[in-house]
Amino acid sequence: MVANDHVDFDAAEGEVHALLGENGAGKTTLSKMLTGLYRPDEGEIVLFGRTVEFSSPRDALDAGIAMVHQHFKLVSPFTVAENVVLGDQRDVGRSFLLRQRAIESRVEELSRRYGLAVDPRARIWQLSVGEQQRVEILKALYQDARILILDEPTAVLTPQEAEALFETIRAMAADGRTVIFISHKLHEVKAVADRVTVLRRGKSVATVPAADATPRSLAALMVGRELETGRRSTERGPTGEAVLELDGVWADGDRGVAAVKDVSLTIRGGEIVGVAGVAGNGQRELAETIVGMRPVTRGAVQVCGRRLSGGDPREAISAGVAYVPEDRLGTGVAPGLSIASNIVLKAYRRSPVSSGPMLRFGRIRDLARGVIDRYDVRTSGPNVPAWQLSGGNLQKVVLAREFSGDPAVLVAASPTRGLDVAGIETVHSYLRDAASTGVGVLLISEDLDEILAIADRVAVMYEGTVVGERDAGTATVEELGLMMAGAGSED
Amino acid sequence: MRIERRLRQPWWLTVVVPVVSIAVAFVLSGFVLFLTGHPPLKSFHRILDAAFIANGALSETVIAATPLAFTGLAAAVAFRMNLFNIGGEGQLYAGAITGAAIGLLMAGSPSPLVFAGMIAAGAAGGALLAAIPALLRAFFSTNEIITSLMLNYVVALVLEYLIFDSHSYLRDTSGFEASVFPQGKTLPDEATWSSWTIHGLVLPLGFLLAIAVATLVWVLYTRTRFGFEVQVIGDSARAGRYAGMRTRRKILAVMCLSGAIAGLGGASQMGDFRHQLDPQGLRQANYGYTGIVVAALARYNPFAVVLVALLLGGLTNAGFTLQGADFPAGLVGVMQGLILFCALGGELFVRYRVRFAW
Amino acid sequence: MNNSLVVVVLASGVLYGTPLLYAALGEVLAERSGVLNLGVEGMMLMGAVMGFWTVERVDGPTPLVLAASIGVAALVGAVMAAIHAFLVITLRANQIVSGLALTIFAGAAGLSSYLGNDLNLAGKPAKHQFQEIFPASWQDLPVIGPIVFGQSLLVYASWVCVVLVALYLTRTRLGLNLRAVGESPAAADAMGVNVSRYRYAHTLVGGAFAGVGGAAFSLSITPQWVDGLTQGAGWIAIALVIFAFWRPTLCLIGAYFFGAFTALPFALQGHGVTLAPELFQTLPYVATILALVLVSSRAARLRFGAPAALGLPYVREER
Repeated sequence: MVANDHVDFDAAEGEVHALLGENGAGKTTLSKMLTGLYRPDEGEIVLFGRTVEFSSPRDALDAGIAMVHQHFKLVSPFTVAENVVLGDQRDVGRSFLLRQRAIESRVEELSRRYGLAVDPRARIWQLSVGEQQRVEILKALYQDARILILDEPTAVLTPQEAEALFETIRAMAADGRTVIFISHKLHEVKAVADRVTVLRRGKSVATVPAADATPRSLAALMVGRELETGRRSTERGPTGEAVLELDGVWADGDRGVAAVKDVSLTIRGGEIVGVAGVAGNGQRELAETIVGMRPVTRGAVQVCGRRLSGGDPREAISAGVAYVPEDRLGTGVAPGLSIASNIVLKAYRRSPVSSGPMLRFGRIRDLARGVIDRYDVRTSGPNVPAWQLSGGNLQKVVLAREFSGDPAVLVAASPTRGLDVAGIETVHSYLRDAASTGVGVLLISEDLDEILAIADRVAVMYEGTVVGERDAGTATVEELGLMMAGAGSED
Repeated sequence: MRIERRLRQPWWLTVVVPVVSIAVAFVLSGFVLFLTGHPPLKSFHRILDAAFIANGALSETVIAATPLAFTGLAAAVAFRMNLFNIGGEGQLYAGAITGAAIGLLMAGSPSPLVFAGMIAAGAAGGALLAAIPALLRAFFSTNEIITSLMLNYVVALVLEYLIFDSHSYLRDTSGFEASVFPQGKTLPDEATWSSWTIHGLVLPLGFLLAIAVATLVWVLYTRTRFGFEVQVIGDSARAGRYAGMRTRRKILAVMCLSGAIAGLGGASQMGDFRHQLDPQGLRQANYGYTGIVVAALARYNPFAVVLVALLLGGLTNAGFTLQGADFPAGLVGVMQGLILFCALGGELFVRYRVRFAW
Repeated sequence: MNNSLVVVVLASGVLYGTPLLYAALGEVLAERSGVLNLGVEGMMLMGAVMGFWTVERVDGPTPLVLAASIGVAALVGAVMAAIHAFLVITLRANQIVSGLALTIFAGAAGLSSYLGNDLNLAGKPAKHQFQEIFPASWQDLPVIGPIVFGQSLLVYASWVCVVLVALYLTRTRLGLNLRAVGESPAAADAMGVNVSRYRYAHTLVGGAFAGVGGAAFSLSITPQWVDGLTQGAGWIAIALVIFAFWRPTLCLIGAYFFGAFTALPFALQGHGVTLAPELFQTLPYVATILALVLVSSRAARLRFGAPAALGLPYVREER
C-alpha cells in the first residue's frame, strides 16, 4: 500500500514546521522514513544541502534527526538517565563504562534549561504519561538533535500541559533547532508553527505560513472540501430509564493502586454521555470496570437495575453491556482469526451459532456475509484474517458485532482513534443510531471536539475521579480544559 | 532482503515446504556423512530399509512412533492455545507410574477391565501433574514453560527413587537378579495390551488409541465451542477475556488435557511395550521433548502429528536396529535435528514472502 | 575438620557447580538479549566432545593444550548457538522448538555422540586435565583449603567470568544496550541500537560459555568422554538462570547450591546417614518453582522477572 505518494516539503533551521493532515494521511509514515525506520521507495531526503539515505535509525540519529513517537519508545524498568543515554555514541555516552553521575547531571542540566522537569533517577514505569513524554524530548535534546519530530505530542496532554510543551518547542527553535510538529489539530498548528505543510491521502497539497492561515482554510486543504464544524444538532430523542448506574465505584489499575476512585455516573437509555480527560486518568480502567474486565473494589455497577458482581465480562455481556475497546486489534478482535470468527466472538455460545457443544459453520458464514453486506465491510470474504482489515473496516466489524447483541449500554473507548474522516463519520453515525434506538452510550475520548460534537453530557475525569459534569450544549473548551487539568470542581 | 507477511497462504506451500525441508535435511546429513568418511547413499539406504522396508521394520517403527504420537499430540493441544507445556516428558513418566501401579493392583481382573483401568490411570496421572503448572499459570501468571520443565526433573527423580532407592510397591524385590540390579515389577499378563496384525503389520492398542485421540482432538479443536475458545485465547488472550470466555478454566482444561494425553503415552509404554517401570529407558528416550518437535513439524495438526511421529519413529527405530560398529552412532539424532531445522526455516516461507532487492 | 560434612559438600558443590555456572552465565547473556536457548544441553555436549578431542589430538605442554581445548569447546558451542540464532533471529522461528531441536541435533544420540564415536574418543582417560593449582599445604588449610584452594583453574576462571559479566551488564554502555534490547527492542531500535546484532552476539557468546561448561565435564569432572556425559546439566543451567533472576552473581550462589545438592546425599551416606538422594535432589527444582511463584506479582516481575521481550522475535516493519 502506498502511504506516501510524492510528498514534498522543506523546513529551515530554527523553524517550527507543522505537518497537518487527518488520520491516515501519511504523517506517521513520512516521519518514520525521516527517522530511518522505513525506507522510501522513491525520491530523496536532503539534509543541510546533502542528499542522505537512511537504512537504519542509527543513520538518522547520526544525521541529527530525532523523533518523539506517538507510542513512546522507552524501556520501562530503566531510569530516566539510562533511557536518555541509550544508544548514544558521543560525549559521556561514548565511554565504555557507564558514567552514571555524569549522565544524570547532564540530564538535569538539560531539563532545567528547557523546562522539562523530571527526576533523572526515577524509573520510567513510575512516571506519568506527561513525564514520559518529557523523557522522550530529553532524549532528543541529549542527542543534540538538529531536527526534532514530534508525532501527535498533545494527544496525551491537557490543554495547559500542551501550552507548556509549546513553550519548550519555541525554546528549542530559538536555539536554532528545527521542530517538525505532526498534528491533526488545527488550532495547535496555528498556535505553535511557523509554516504548515498539509498532507492529504499521502500527498503534500500545500505549504503555507501559519500566520496567514485560518483554521477554516487549513481544514479545507486537509479534507479537500469545506468541513462543517459544530456541535451536535440539538434535537435529542427522549431519554428513557437509567440503563447504567455507577455508584461510588473504585477499581485498581495495572500497578495495583486505585485508578478509578469513587466514580458515580448515570446514563439513561437514548443518551450519549462523553467522558473527557487526558489519557491515563482512569478512563480506560473505568471502561474496563463497567464491562467486567476489571474487578470493582468498592461501590456498585448496575445495568438496567441489576447489580453486577464485577470482574466478569460474561456477566456484563449477558446483562446487556456492549463494549468497543480502545485496543481494537488484540482486544476487540482476535487478529489472527477470520472475520467470520470475530463476528461470532460473543455469539458463539448462543443457540443459532452453536447447538450444544458443536459450532454450526453454515450459520456462522451466513451471519458473517450479512454483516459484511449490511455494514459495507471492504474485504474479499469472511475467511480473511482480521488483521488484514483497515482500521475503519475493523471498527465496523466490532460495532456490528456489539450491536448484534441487542445491548442496553454501549461503552465505546476512543472508537475513532486512527480512523480517517470517512471512518470517523461512520462510527459517529452508528453511535447516534444506537442512541436513537434507546441504547445508553458512554463515549470515552481524549478528543474534546469529538465529545462536544456528539455527546449530550460530558463528564470530565481527572486522576481517577469525575471532577465535574456539564451539558455538552453549553460547556466551553476552556472550562473543560481546566477541569481536565484538575482545576475544576463540582461547582 | 525484505520479509513481508503473506496476505494469503497458498495451500500448496504447506505441502511443498515440508517435503523440500526434508529433502534439504537429507542433503545436509549426506554432507555430514561424506565429511566424516561414510558413504551417504548407502547409509540412507540402510536407514530407509531398517525403518520402513525390511521385514517387520514397519511394525518396529510403529512401536517407536506410538509414544511420540502421544507426546506430539500433547504438545499440539497446548501449543495451539499458546500454552507452552514442555512437561510432556514428566507427564509421560507420571502416566507410566500410575498406569503400572493400576496394572499391578488389578492383577487377576479381566483384561479389558485392566486395560481400561490403566488407560484411565495413565491419563489421570499425566493430567494431575500438568495441573500444577496450569494452576500456577492461571492464578499467579507463573510462566508454564519453566514450571513444567522443572517438574520433568522432579518426576524423573521420583521415578528413580521408586525403582532404585526404595522398597516401593512398584519395585521388583524378589529373586536374585532384582537384588543386584533394581528394576520395576513385571506387569501381569492381564495387563499386557492387545495388538492386531494386518498383513504382517502389528498394530498395538496404544497406536490405535493415539489415532483415536488424534481424531478426538481434531473434532474438539475444529468443530466445537471449546475449540473456538481455544483458538481465540491462543490468538489473543485479551480478546478471549473480552468476549466473556473463562480463560482460567480454559488454561486448566487444556493443560490437563495435554497432560492426560502424555500420560496415556506413559500407560501405553507399560501396557504395550515395556511391561515394567524402567527409569533409565524412559529417560533416555526423551519422548516428551521429541514430541514437541513432532508437533511443531506437524504444524500442530493432530493427524499430521501421527504421520510425523511415524517418520521420526522410523529414524529412531533404524538407529536402534543398525546400532553397531559399522553404522555411525548418533546419525539418527543428527538427521532428526536437521529435519527440524529445515522445517523451522521452511516455516518462514509459508508465513512470509521473502523478497530479494538487489 | 576438612572431612567434615559441610566442607566436603561445599567443596564438591563448587566442583559440580562450575559447569553449571559457565552454562548459566552464557544463558544469562542470551536471555538478557531476549533469546531463550533451550539447546544448552546440546551445546555443552558438543563442547565436551570437541574439547576432549583437542586434548587427545594436540601435542604440547599441558597448559597450552588445555587452553586450546577450551578455545575449541567455546568455538563449537558458539557454532551450535549460531544455528539457533539464525533460526530464531533471522528466520523468526519459535525459540522453544528451535532450542529443543538443537538439543536433539547436538545432544546425546545426536552429533556429539556421532563425533565422539567417529573420532574414537570413548572410554579413554584424558591425556591432559585440569588439576588443582595450589600447593598441597594450602589445600590442607582448615575449611577454606578444600573449598577455595582445592580447585582447578576452571573454577577460578569462572569467578573472573562472573565478575566480568556482572560488570558488563550493569556498568557498561554495551550492557545497557543489551538490557534494552531484551526489555524493549523497539525502544532500543529507535535509539539506533542494532537489535539483531546484539542478539546474535550474545546468543553466540552464550553458546561459547555453554561449550566451556561442557568441557569442564570431559576435562575436569569425569575426566573422559562418554556419550551424554553432562547428564542433564544443561537443563539445570536453564533452571539456574531463572533461580538467579537473570543475575550473574546469583548464578554463582545458585550453581554451588545446585551442585551441593547433587553431592550432599552421597556425603551423608559417608557419615552413615541414608537419605534418598533422588528425593533430595528434587529440592532445587522445587525451590526454582517456588521462587518463580514468589516473584509472580507484577511489581516483583518488573524487578526480578524475565526480560520482557524474552522469546519474542523482533520485527521492525510489522504494522
